Amino acid sequence: MLVVRAIQQNDLDGLLDLAGRVGGGMTTLKADRAMLGNRVDVACASFAETIPPEQRDYLFVMEDVAKGAMVGVCAIKSAVGLEEPFYNYRIGTLVHSSKELNVFSRMETLYLSNDLTGCSELCSLFLHPDYRSGNNGKLLSKSRLLFIAQFPHLFGEKLIAEMRGFLRPDGSSPFWDSLGQHFFQMEFERADDLTSLGKKSFIAELMPRHPLYIDYLPQEAQDAVGKVHVATAPARRLLEQEGMYYEGYVDIFDAGPVLQARVSELRALRDSALALLDAAAPRHAEAGKPLLVANTQLGDFRVIACDSRPTQGRLSLSAEQIELLHAKAGDAVRTLSMNSNQ
Amino acid sequence: MFVVRAVQFADVAPLTALAAVATPGVHTLPKTHEAIQRAVEHSIASFAAQVDLPSEESYMFVLEAGDGSLCGTASIAATAGSQGTFFAFRNDVIQQVSRDLNISHSVHALTLCSDLTGHSQLSSFYVRDWGEAGHEAALLSRARLLFAAAAPHRFSDRFFASLAGVTETVNDGEARSPFWEALGRKFFHMDFLEVERLIEGARNRSLIIELMPHYPVYVPLLPGEAQAAMGQVHSEGELPFRILSDEGFEPDEFIDIFDGGPILQAHKNSLRAFSSSLRLRAVEAASGDNDGAGANYLVATARGENFRAVLLHSPLLEQRDEVALSAEAMRALDIASGDPVLCVRL
Repeated sequence: MLVVRAIQQNDLDGLLDLAGRVGGGMTTLKADRAMLGNRVDVACASFAETIPPEQRDYLFVMEDVAKGAMVGVCAIKSAVGLEEPFYNYRIGTLVHSSKELNVFSRMETLYLSNDLTGCSELCSLFLHPDYRSGNNGKLLSKSRLLFIAQFPHLFGEKLIAEMRGFLRPDGSSPFWDSLGQHFFQMEFERADDLTSLGKKSFIAELMPRHPLYIDYLPQEAQDAVGKVHVATAPARRLLEQEGMYYEGYVDIFDAGPVLQARVSELRALRDSALALLDAAAPRHAEAGKPLLVANTQLGDFRVIACDSRPTQGRLSLSAEQIELLHAKAGDAVRTLSMNSNQ
Repeated sequence: MFVVRAVQFADVAPLTALAAVATPGVHTLPKTHEAIQRAVEHSIASFAAQVDLPSEESYMFVLEAGDGSLCGTASIAATAGSQGTFFAFRNDVIQQVSRDLNISHSVHALTLCSDLTGHSQLSSFYVRDWGEAGHEAALLSRARLLFAAAAPHRFSDRFFASLAGVTETVNDGEARSPFWEALGRKFFHMDFLEVERLIEGARNRSLIIELMPHYPVYVPLLPGEAQAAMGQVHSEGELPFRILSDEGFEPDEFIDIFDGGPILQAHKNSLRAFSSSLRLRAVEAASGDNDGAGANYLVATARGENFRAVLLHSPLLEQRDEVALSAEAMRALDIASGDPVLCVRL
């Protein structure tokens, strides 16, 4: 049985272990004990509500309860860009036209922007390779949307998710090599490391200040704009089904797309519902139509997947499932069909 | 004896013949009979105009051989942008400094600018058989500035000249500009020579601001061959480049927006026609006066109209107040003994 739950102080070792498997391109999950230790501290304080809402970083882990092993991680930052500036390129359009020459050029441009400042962010999603099957990825990623649906007042108006950009098989980024490299004079990996260490001021100091015409870039780099890493394509589809969409913002390093949505328009906000728990053999089990169930406690938030169906405001779960949720019969839980087409 | 003089109406036909052999896209002189006729009429009117402030005047000169044939022409416009803003790329340097990361380097960016609009512009320089041209080419090019020194109120304090950039000949014999391919083509969607023909080599047309990039172009983003072409002069522009550099012009700050060719510019105080020219009284030379050691000089009339200039080999003039001229030179300059002339070393 798998449960996604709020992280706890003693999860650091398991988290480090997971982070060691991530590889490059994921700025928020580097296997660095001091950094991750600090992140766990902030996450625990976030769930305990001892720090202001805009400073919070909610970190969740997926646990294989039978093995007592940590097999996945994901997070929600309540607001980006309030302490360190948050940069993206916004893709804009400039039209150059001359009636006299009968020329009409529609040019795409990259504008350095801080437009997404203050947005909440889905980030740091990683699932152990051995568990990438069935609905595990959906459970892990969507558990966060249930959290937001349960506690919407803790989040900004908008939610974003940065997707890993297109990289060559050797891990290098064609976009970086054609653009960032000229201004930073360092390798992609190093720039990426510096960002994750919070040394972001260098971006402001070194990035080109003026809008860039995408046409100036080599074709390989142009093609990478807004394109996700091969391994990230399923994650992108999954979030798009939840109501997030690409609206022309990309990462300044690898040009990976930023997905965004108004929090109030997320499927989890519109379609999730509260139900009261009954301890009973699930009566409305429907194979192939899994349900996400979350408890309603901020400090000990837990989510599982099950095959039950809520009926008239009540949901039947087995004693084991109720125990996994750290709930008891009669408690309210929040439910959401795992797939958007149900 | 070669003489440079203001253009006359009778020069239209020989100028048309001269222009017919000039390489397209390289030389800025007008090509068609009508365009040449317009330019000549405009020049004659400009020389005749009473000028308070430099404006749309343009002065055209020809190089005439002893036999009366025309071997070259050159022009100077009072202001580059009298018919519309003159556009160039300014070569800006952006310092990239991060103290945290101990990084410090510079990035070049090209910014579309109108800085040169009010400057006086040298243009349309062309000499037949330029490969063999000697001092006469310098006489033709620099005479324009001696005219400016004789009539400074007709010109700006700053001067510039835009020279053709490098092109390569592709298989069908067409000239291809690597700078244009990387930049202008993306906005114009047409070949370099086609656009030059359409806008007649002008850099002061409003369609430029309609089509060219509004934001700085970061040079490192351009392909290597386009970067290499920046500020590089076409082989047929090497002679005027050398002449103008000797005169005191500086390249590097601006380049042409289409082919990336160099734009040489200078304040008049750094030009030799202004800073080193001598105003001397012309006297009739006795035989042998100008033989022996000395230097080559350009000698130009100092009057406001009927400008003329010739070459002279003479003993050093720097400590003198008169210059000895042969009867032939006096005739070529259309002056009499005692008239003032401007002299500057070649």
